[in-house]
Amino acid sequence: MAETIQVQLKKGVLELCVLALLSQHDSYAYEIANRLAEGIDMGEGTIYPLMRRMQSDGLVDTYLVESSSGPPRKYYRLTQAGKTSFIAQKAEWAAFANAVAAILGDAE
Amino acid sequence: MTRQAFLARLREGLRGLSPQTIEDIVSDYEAHFAEGAAAGRTEAEVAAALGDPGRLAREVRAEAGLKNWEENRNPSAAAGAVFAVLGLGAIDILILLPVLMAVGGALFGTFIAAVACFFAGGAMFGSSPFYHGPGGVWAMVLAGLGMMAGSAAVAAVLSLICIGLVNALVWYGRLHFRLLKPVIET
Repeated sequence: MAETIQVQLKKGVLELCVLALLSQHDSYAYEIANRLAEGIDMGEGTIYPLMRRMQSDGLVDTYLVESSSGPPRKYYRLTQAGKTSFIAQKAEWAAFANAVAAILGDAE
Repeated sequence: MTRQAFLARLREGLRGLSPQTIEDIVSDYEAHFAEGAAAGRTEAEVAAALGDPGRLAREVRAEAGLKNWEENRNPSAAAGAVFAVLGLGAIDILILLPVLMAVGGALFGTFIAAVACFFAGGAMFGSSPFYHGPGGVWAMVLAGLGMMAGSAAVAAVLSLICIGLVNALVWYGRLHFRLLKPVIET
């Protein structure tokens, strides 16, 4: 049961986390995956299907940047729709987290 | 697992998707290995962190099939979605298979019967001017029309049932995603 809750929670915030990282600065998948793997214990391989979906949903787009080490890197940046979605999802998350925190606080 | 083995198994598993899509996906993971190597990780470490490439490929392909069904509601997309779910290879889905085939067979049989009834109705309608039995010509005309309308209604209900069944299967199949679970939309 605890595992299911974890999966459900992560599922809800994964896209939000990616939007948040990209709102700070453009990034490439390896870096995003690293940040997420450290922070919320997400499998690294999950990032690519997620980025593909977000790209087909029009939340992000990509451009290539020459890299000093090896082939050019594919960078992701937020589109206008991505920025709008980030603001909306962030507010939703904050409201939800506050509500849960209030209930947890009452239970103590 | 080495980089080469991982990419080969991924590519193998993705077969059936468009070549462009396969290239895009494989090159993403290729880049991931390159970045990992630059960060001082071994190929085996990177491969382990990425997860099972066969499983990954199966889920990606299944999701593509299911999405295609949700966007194009036609019989071939429905068949694609059914095969996509079966392709996940989950034990309980395979146990479900005989039931699925029985239900599918019954639906198909009923559908054929409905088509036959429709044509029989059409024949009765067409032959009504030559009918001299009880009730006369108009009885035959009405009976023919009634049979055609009735069988069309049965066929319509059948297709609704089929759509519902495929949707249920899609929902059930998605419950079996492990790697992609955090990624798909609900």
